[in-house]
Amino acid sequence: MATEMKNLGSKIILLVTGIFIFFPLYAATEFSMRNGAEKTHGLNAYRWIFQQSGFAENLAITARITVLAVVLNLLIMVPTVTWLHLSGQRYKRLIEILTILPLIIPVVALATGAQLALPSILENTVYELSFMYVVVAMPYTYRALDIGLSGHPLATLTNAARNLGASWIRVLMNVIVPTIRPSIFAALFLMVALSLGEFTLAQLLHWTTFPVWVTNASQQNIIGATALAVGSLFFAWLLLFGFTFFGGKNSNTVQEEA
Amino acid sequence: MTTDSLVVGGLTRQFGAVVALDNFSLNVAKGELVALLGPSGCGKTTALRIIAGLEKSNAGSVQLNTKDITNDPAHVRNMGMVFQAYSLFPHLNVAENVAFGLKMRKVSKAVRDNKVNSILELVGLDHHHKRFAHQLSGGQQQRVALARALVIEPEVLLLDEPLSALDAQVRTNLREEIRRLQLELGTTTLFVTHDQEEAMSISDRVGVMNKGKLEQIDTPDTLYNKPATEFVGTFVGTMNHLPTTLIDGHINLFGQNIVALKSGNESGNVIALIRPEAITVKTDGTSNATVVTRSFLGASSRVTCKTHEGTLVEALMTSAATGDLHPGSEVQLHILSKEVLVTNA
Repeated sequence: MATEMKNLGSKIILLVTGIFIFFPLYAATEFSMRNGAEKTHGLNAYRWIFQQSGFAENLAITARITVLAVVLNLLIMVPTVTWLHLSGQRYKRLIEILTILPLIIPVVALATGAQLALPSILENTVYELSFMYVVVAMPYTYRALDIGLSGHPLATLTNAARNLGASWIRVLMNVIVPTIRPSIFAALFLMVALSLGEFTLAQLLHWTTFPVWVTNASQQNIIGATALAVGSLFFAWLLLFGFTFFGGKNSNTVQEEA
Repeated sequence: MTTDSLVVGGLTRQFGAVVALDNFSLNVAKGELVALLGPSGCGKTTALRIIAGLEKSNAGSVQLNTKDITNDPAHVRNMGMVFQAYSLFPHLNVAENVAFGLKMRKVSKAVRDNKVNSILELVGLDHHHKRFAHQLSGGQQQRVALARALVIEPEVLLLDEPLSALDAQVRTNLREEIRRLQLELGTTTLFVTHDQEEAMSISDRVGVMNKGKLEQIDTPDTLYNKPATEFVGTFVGTMNHLPTTLIDGHINLFGQNIVALKSGNESGNVIALIRPEAITVKTDGTSNATVVTRSFLGASSRVTCKTHEGTLVEALMTSAATGDLHPGSEVQLHILSKEVLVTNA
């Protein structure tokens, strides 16, 4: 009897949470598919998105920024977090605090401050955003990798690999990276999600990226704006599923030497 | 004539104020299995890690087959190592784990497959190629780790307490198997352990370490029967500690005059170190002790007595001779050995 009551309670909570999450989604999707004031539904609003000038260009810009941010992020974070786990334990607290800073420092301060710190070669290109996105994403990407590394006896695995003839770079590429691949994919996804959705920094620094373009374009068409929001959401979900699928699969591939 | 495969000279390692390894020297002959035995924190693992190149020494040298490798990084030393903690790469299956070292050496796939197959057969895991670490028992994981270390045909095999995470039965089986493989392949092996039975049962020689120093290195028999120091005698096997007086190189115990072996400059009041099996209990009417307990161990029995002076003495005898001994029995203790190691009281 008590168990049944508990089950019923769980089901009610699940139902309420489900409604809370999915009803707005349903409402937004339904609204985005209306054909103006008519009672019929269709994909007009979605077609409208693609017809707007700048769609492809701005998506391409954001894609390039994202790719650079992902590469930078992994190149910096994976070796750093690995080192912290292997021999930098005493700096771990300090680094943890440092990685929190992007959450505390207002984006406006970051925009102006970080821009001044960047080398002049980057100052006038849109790719300066990639560097800032790496910093903004750090609280999340650091933790994703940190958790991944904590779950494995990293020192022993490293010692074993070194003993078997692996140089440090091989230890990193052939042992550590494949071992924490799910975490690397999580960090990658967080980086992508942030780059695809970041508006404030781009706007403050006067760059037109996809999110900035979306904001501008959607001001002319309320149904179109909703379609954009729903579309972005589904796109992000698709990415997430993709990364989970590839990241979670057990790989049998150590880099093959020719 | 045997040649020394591994020559370690004067290794010293300090961690802050702690001296983990103090002028540690060791020679291991080709094809020999040497165990380093000692309590935790005695420096045995540090010694092994320095030999493997996983740690730096403050002083001293390591030579492998007459080549000085003191400053070589770990990955170019041709040594195989098995660790205490499970160390299989979780993203690779058994065959891939074993092949790892060969891949790093750029061995062709055909040769690699061949070697992996034969070594897995040798460790009795020839049907587990495609398994992953999480699908194997602890004993199986260590077998794979052993295969992985041996397949590269290392000049020296280093074993860092590889059995201590396993349960008793598996531990005994695997240690016999390590010895079998080691003899079969003729691999020079250095085996670190804190378990004296493990060290004594499979090694050609055992080095007993204490506080970063090698106290004595000898065959298991010599180590047991002729310990050089009190520490060795006490750490290896059980020892009775009997207070007595040293006069003219002799001690007097239970009415017997016995030659004393000194480990230092002992004189006057000393402690005699005597193995339980070197003491026997007689019931011939005379009495110098009372039986406290008798534990039946099968073929032998352990009899604990209290001398009339109040010292507890342990004797190990065949059970047949102890049948009528009971707590409270008056007995005569008798020492069987002609020489006894003494140490300062």
